[in-house]
Amino acid sequence: MSTNLPDALAEYAEIVFLAPEKCKFSMTAGGFLALEYGEDKFPVVSAYRSFPLTLGDKYISIRDDKEKEIGIIVDLADFSSDQANLVRAELERRYFTPVVETVVKMKEEFGYIYWEVITDRGPRRFTSRGQHDSIVPVSDTRILILDVDGNRFDVPDVRLLDAKSAKLLESLM
Amino acid sequence: MHQLEPIPEGVRQALNAHGITDAQIKLCAAGDMTTEGNFAEAWLVATEQELCILTGVKAVVPKDKRFGRKQVAEQWQEVSYRTVALSAIEEVKAQSLNGNGLLVITIGEQAEVACRYSNTMARKFGQFARLLNKLRKGEQLTEKDFTAEVYQPQCPTCGRLYPNPTRRVCPRCLDKRKLFMRVLSFMPRYKKQVIQILLCMFAGSLLQILSPYVNNRVFFDEVLNPAGKYAGRIFSAVLVMGAIQLVSIAASIAHGRINAELTARVVFDLKTSVFQAMQRLSLSFFTSKETGSLMTRVNSDATHLQYFFHDGFPYFIVNAINLIGIITVMLMMHWQLTLLVLLPTPLIVLCVTKAFPKLWNAFSRRWRHNSALNSLVNDALTGIRVVKAFGKEDTERERFMQRNTKVYQVNMQVGHIQAVLFPVMGLIMGAGRPIVLSIGGWQVISGEITIGTLMTFLSYLSMLYGPLEFMTHIVDWWSSCMNAAGRIFEILDATPDVAERKDPVRLPNLSGHIELNDVSFGYEPNKTVLENIALEIKPGEMLGVLGYSGAGKSTLVNLISRLYDVQEGCIKIDGVDVRDIAVADLRAQIGMVLQDTYLFAGTIMENVAYAKPGATIEEIIRACKVARAHDFIIKLPNGYDTLIGHRGQNLSGGERQRLAIARAILHNPRILILDEATASVDTETERGIQEGLESLVKGRTTIAIAHRLSTLRNADRLLVIDKGKVVETGTHEDLIKLQGHYFKMLEKQRNALKIRGVEVSEHQLAGRAG
Repeated sequence: MSTNLPDALAEYAEIVFLAPEKCKFSMTAGGFLALEYGEDKFPVVSAYRSFPLTLGDKYISIRDDKEKEIGIIVDLADFSSDQANLVRAELERRYFTPVVETVVKMKEEFGYIYWEVITDRGPRRFTSRGQHDSIVPVSDTRILILDVDGNRFDVPDVRLLDAKSAKLLESLM
Repeated sequence: MHQLEPIPEGVRQALNAHGITDAQIKLCAAGDMTTEGNFAEAWLVATEQELCILTGVKAVVPKDKRFGRKQVAEQWQEVSYRTVALSAIEEVKAQSLNGNGLLVITIGEQAEVACRYSNTMARKFGQFARLLNKLRKGEQLTEKDFTAEVYQPQCPTCGRLYPNPTRRVCPRCLDKRKLFMRVLSFMPRYKKQVIQILLCMFAGSLLQILSPYVNNRVFFDEVLNPAGKYAGRIFSAVLVMGAIQLVSIAASIAHGRINAELTARVVFDLKTSVFQAMQRLSLSFFTSKETGSLMTRVNSDATHLQYFFHDGFPYFIVNAINLIGIITVMLMMHWQLTLLVLLPTPLIVLCVTKAFPKLWNAFSRRWRHNSALNSLVNDALTGIRVVKAFGKEDTERERFMQRNTKVYQVNMQVGHIQAVLFPVMGLIMGAGRPIVLSIGGWQVISGEITIGTLMTFLSYLSMLYGPLEFMTHIVDWWSSCMNAAGRIFEILDATPDVAERKDPVRLPNLSGHIELNDVSFGYEPNKTVLENIALEIKPGEMLGVLGYSGAGKSTLVNLISRLYDVQEGCIKIDGVDVRDIAVADLRAQIGMVLQDTYLFAGTIMENVAYAKPGATIEEIIRACKVARAHDFIIKLPNGYDTLIGHRGQNLSGGERQRLAIARAILHNPRILILDEATASVDTETERGIQEGLESLVKGRTTIAIAHRLSTLRNADRLLVIDKGKVVETGTHEDLIKLQGHYFKMLEKQRNALKIRGVEVSEHQLAGRAG
């Protein structure tokens, strides 16, 4: 029997890039994303970011209701703004990450950090494990805070916070 | 009435206003977000007929004025209310997204979001969905459905979320004074030494306070003064002074010696109990913490406590006695001057309360950065093979540099703060001396006090600031010690998630019948790894478990061997819930051979005998023979006495694996779990071990997990798991006929072999034909 590596592994190696002109996203009455791709119709699809922290609008994996990948959107910017916003809304729901606007209180005790923050989604109190386990430095000025339950809070730029908040956070960086 | 959590008054009123009475409520749970993704409260309440979705505004954070208007914080205000008839709902599902979760109800063909919640609530809504489905199908909810504890994530005193849901201890409300008393409680075991130390300290302090009085006041005013009581008796005076000095030194030497012994003992005991406590804890405790940080805890925190016991606490008592004694004597000698000298004291206190927190912060940052650095070193050294293999020494050095720089910076910060703080403190404390010199000097000239009194006063003054300065340090000592103690007690107090029941069922002779009823489990609250697994394994049966990586195979066996506890459903062995079986009985009769074998530092002999310490040499050799390990062991220059180092690096993967199998054979368990046991062994060796395994498997309940399908050739039954669910079960032939997952896997492996140029029949592949 002949050996044929590409054939055997083809289904793993191939990436389907979704062509913007063939995609038609829509919103179901229940608030879920649906897709018509050429001839194919998907009543419910979900969208995943490949690089949730660094490239939020690029390399978005669109999956069917069985979580099988339909294809990848290289860049949402290639889509019309209506279409892009539909996908973006779905992404934002999945990667729910409130942005911290003010740090009201932050106290570290016994290896846990207690927070009181005001986010763009409202005020929130949470507890995170010690600094090393819960603060993800994304860049020199951006951090992601993970709480004990796995909720995520984003601080896109520490320098843009008010002085008090920045000072509280700087002690962790 | 059953429900998942108590309903607050405001919500109850709102529900009543909509005609829902308390008696009608069957199930309820509060979410913490609106469907648009803003933090707010939303209640899902189910009666027998309908699901009510009630959202309202109530800030999650109460009462802080920076969180908006006060009434918002205190009052529940309804925003929306709608109901869905339960009969219209086709399905209820708790869907976890990466950053939050959705409770999705399907009405007709249409899925819609009933409630959105943060990951904090994920587990609760998983349970809610399950119970709502029951309710929807018209089943009655019983007590049993609510056996899981009422969800209580917050400390009732301060409202802070518990950092560790399994440990209902709020570190914030943990009383530091209590902590201190608890640290001290280690002391009474050593009553004799403590009493000796106290005696020495009292004697030492007394003499120390006495000595300036004799040296100055008595010597100048009574001995040198012709009108004095002991005029001219210089030699006797010097003799007395020398004697005081000698006795004082003797007391201090005795104190130091006893103290050293005592503290070393306390720390020894502390480290022992911490290590014991760690061994007692469940696996989940270790996976949630970095090993480096754990090692720091045992070593560095215990050392911190040692400092406290050795340098902090005893000297605190000595200094406290000195301070009180000196001030008393000074007050007796000249109370006006004493009060003047003590004037700067409030400044010192101010300095301590205002400036020291900065220093403590820096200290705790230093601890964190050091701990991070330790983890990194630990990582890099454990993974040195990977580092070398990819030639990433420079990258590692770079990473080390980065963290080391942080440690350097924080060290520098600490140094800078100290450099300013202590001289300023010194300046404030030195302010007393000029006061004494000017006022006292003037009084000597005017004859109000003697020169001896002034000299004594100056001596006391210099003695006073020592203890005072120490007292300002003691706060720092205290604080860092209490932090260390807190971390240590956290381990001592952590309750294992997998705890033995008070009166466990003893099952010394298992038959090995395993039953799983609707088992669901996830390591993290928002990610279920296994979902509604139902399974029965008969005594002596060999079950092969297949599935792609991440399907939940290892989790399944972790649950059966009770390394973790199920979150929903139950697992029964011989008809008894595993949570009720005595842990010792369970462990003695379940044997595991894992893919990643851990061999302890020790000889081969010791490693094989690990599971059965009293094994005879014949038993060990027989076990090794069965495991096909005997031959390679004999060829080693030191045979069974060969020392194997950390992770047995001088043995090959296959050799280590065979030792692990020998270990399991010697252990002779009723239930045997093979988790990819032969994955790191080549096919040829596997065939060799297979015979060993066959004799091992015979007569025991065996669960074998394997990627390589040929490994499962002897399985009586196969189970295919996909994404946490059982998708296929049956014999090899059954599953071939089914043409489902198993068939596909078989095809794929055959293709893979074809690539290597190996032609195989289906039967050869599954190993049936031998």
